[in-house]
Amino acid sequence: MRPFAPDAEAVFAELTVRIADTVARLREVQGVAVGCSAKRAVWSCGKTTLYQYLPLAQAPPRAGRRPVLVCFALVNRPYVLDLQPDRSLVRRLLEAGLAVYLIDWGDPDDADRCVDLDDYIERHLGGSVRHILGNHGGEALDVLGVCQGGVLSLCYTALHGKQVANLVTLTTPVDFHTPDNLLSKWVRGLDTELLMRSGNVPGEVLNGLFLSLSPFRLTQHKYVRLLSGNSDQRALEDFVRMERWIFDSPPQAALALAQFVRWFYQENRLARGTLRIGGRRVDLGEIRQPVLNLYALEDHIVPPDAAAAMQRYIGSADYTGCGIDTGHIGMYVSRKAAHEIPARIISWLQERQ
Amino acid sequence: METPFTHAAFKPDAAFTSAAERFFELLKTFGMPGAAAAGADRDWSSLAGPLAGQFEQWLKSSQSAGPWFAAANPAAPGPGAGVGAAQAGSFGPLPLGAGAAPQQDAQRSWDLVARLAQLQGQLASHWGEIANTAARRFVARLGATAGGAPTLDNALKLYELWVNCAEESYAATVRKDDFCRLQAELANTSAALLVEQRRHAETLVRAFGLPSRNEVDALYAQLKDLRRQLAELTDAARAGGSGAQRPAVRPAGKGRRKRPRRPRA
Repeated sequence: MRPFAPDAEAVFAELTVRIADTVARLREVQGVAVGCSAKRAVWSCGKTTLYQYLPLAQAPPRAGRRPVLVCFALVNRPYVLDLQPDRSLVRRLLEAGLAVYLIDWGDPDDADRCVDLDDYIERHLGGSVRHILGNHGGEALDVLGVCQGGVLSLCYTALHGKQVANLVTLTTPVDFHTPDNLLSKWVRGLDTELLMRSGNVPGEVLNGLFLSLSPFRLTQHKYVRLLSGNSDQRALEDFVRMERWIFDSPPQAALALAQFVRWFYQENRLARGTLRIGGRRVDLGEIRQPVLNLYALEDHIVPPDAAAAMQRYIGSADYTGCGIDTGHIGMYVSRKAAHEIPARIISWLQERQ
Repeated sequence: METPFTHAAFKPDAAFTSAAERFFELLKTFGMPGAAAAGADRDWSSLAGPLAGQFEQWLKSSQSAGPWFAAANPAAPGPGAGVGAAQAGSFGPLPLGAGAAPQQDAQRSWDLVARLAQLQGQLASHWGEIANTAARRFVARLGATAGGAPTLDNALKLYELWVNCAEESYAATVRKDDFCRLQAELANTSAALLVEQRRHAETLVRAFGLPSRNEVDALYAQLKDLRRQLAELTDAARAGGSGAQRPAVRPAGKGRRKRPRRPRA
C-alpha cells in the first residue's frame, strides 16, 4: 500500500484533462477588467493623483455629508478597493450617497528617489485634504486609511486633527514589534542607509517579500486549488483579477521606503511616540476624533495584535475596534468582507454625521 | 521550474501550470515504489527521504523561501531578488563590476561576492532543515488520509496535508533569530554590492563627462527645496494678501547658498 497508488492511471488522466482545461480558461479570462467605478483626476502632486469618484445616478451625494478620502498603501495599487461591481468598497460608499476621493500614489521613478515621508504625508496627503476641503467647504472630512495608508492617515490625523472628522482604518499596524510580526522580524536587521543608497525598490521585490511570508500557500496551493473542479467562470475571473492586482505592485521611492522600514518596523516610533513628521512629533494621543479600526484576524502581513494595539495609544473616547475573521487580502475582496466591511463603515459613519 | 518568484509577473496560466506540474510530481512521489515497501502497517517512513530531497530542490530552485535568496547568487541574479539586491542583476550585461574596476575597488567587490556565496551556503542548511522537518511531519500525519481510493479528491487531500506541513515547518524556521539575521545580512551584502557597482559606474560616467547619479540626486534635492520654498511663499502671499505677512523662508538664490542636505533614512 502507498499513500497514493502509482497505478491510478484514471486519476492522472483526469488530472491532465483538468490542467489543460484550467490553463485554457485562465488564458481566456486573462484580459479581465479591473476597477469598475468611474472617476476623474482632480488634483496632483509629483506622481500622486487625487481622484474623485463620480456619483452614481441612483445615489447622488447627500447634501451636508462630509466627503470621504481613501488613503491606500504606497506598496500596492488602490484599485483593489474597486475591483469589480460586486466587490467594491468604493461602490458601496457611493451607493450610500457619500462623496468619495482616492489617493493614487503613482509610480515613483528615479526623479523621486529623495521623496520622503514628510512629502507623502504633508504635501501629497495634506494637499489632497486641503484640495477636497477647498472644494466642498467645511472644516473637516472623513478619512479611510488602508494598511500602510492607514499609518500615513494616523500620522496626518495626529498632526492636523481639525481637518479630520472621523477616521476609519483598515488592516493598519500601529505596534510594529508584536511577537507575531514576521515581516518586522525579517527587516529588523536591514541597513536602511544602504537600502536608501541602492535606489528605488522595484515592486516585484516587495511582492516577492510578501509572498515569501507564506510561500507554499501563495505560490502553489492557491493554483492547485483551481483543480478541485469548483471554479466556475465567475470564480476564475475573480481569481485572475486578484492575480493581476497582486503582481501589479508599484516601485517604492528609496528614501521613503528606507524611512518607513527604519522608523516604523525597526524603531517602532509610532507606538513609542518618537516619530517626527515635518519637524513635529506625531503624538497618537492627539487623535481625539471617533476612530473605527477594522483588522483581519488571520492577517499574515499585519498581525491582529499590531492593529488592535491602536486603542492603547490614541486619545479618542469614541473608539471601535473590530477583528474580522479573514486574511489580509480577504479584507478587501473576500465575499464575506465585501458585504460586512462596507456595511460597518457606512453605518458607523452615518451615526457620526 | 518557473514560479511567481522566479518570474514575478502577471502570468496566471504560467504560474498555474508550474504549480500543477509540481503537484503532479508530488503525486508520483507519493506513489513511488520505495513507499510501497511500507506495506499494510502504514509505516510511511521510507517516503520521508525522497520527499525531503524533492522539496529541498524546489526551495533552492524557486528561491521561494526568501526574496533575498536570488540576490545571494551573483551569477544568476533574477527579478525575484531582494530589497536593493534585485537591481544588482541589471548590471550583469554591462562591462562593470569587479572585473572592470581598479584593483582596490575590485577587491572590495570580490569580497562582497565571496561573502554572498558564503551566506547562500548558510541559507541552504535552513532549506534542508525545513524540507526534512516538513517530510517527517507529513509522514507522521499521513495515517488515515493515505491509502484511500485513488481519486482526485483524495489526491487533493494529501496535497493539502503536505502544504500544511510545509508551511508549519517553514514558519518555524524563518522566525528563528539566526534565520532573520542571515536574511538581513544577505540583503545588506547584496545592497552593498549594488552600491559598489554603482560607484564603479559613476567613475566611468565621469570619465565621459556625464552627470553622475549623486549629482543628479543633488539637483533633485535642490529642486525639491526650491519647490518647497515656492509653496511656502505662495501660501504666505495668499494668507497675507497684500504681503503684510512675511514668508518664513528666504527666497532662493539670495544670500549664502546652503549645500543640499544628503537625505538620511
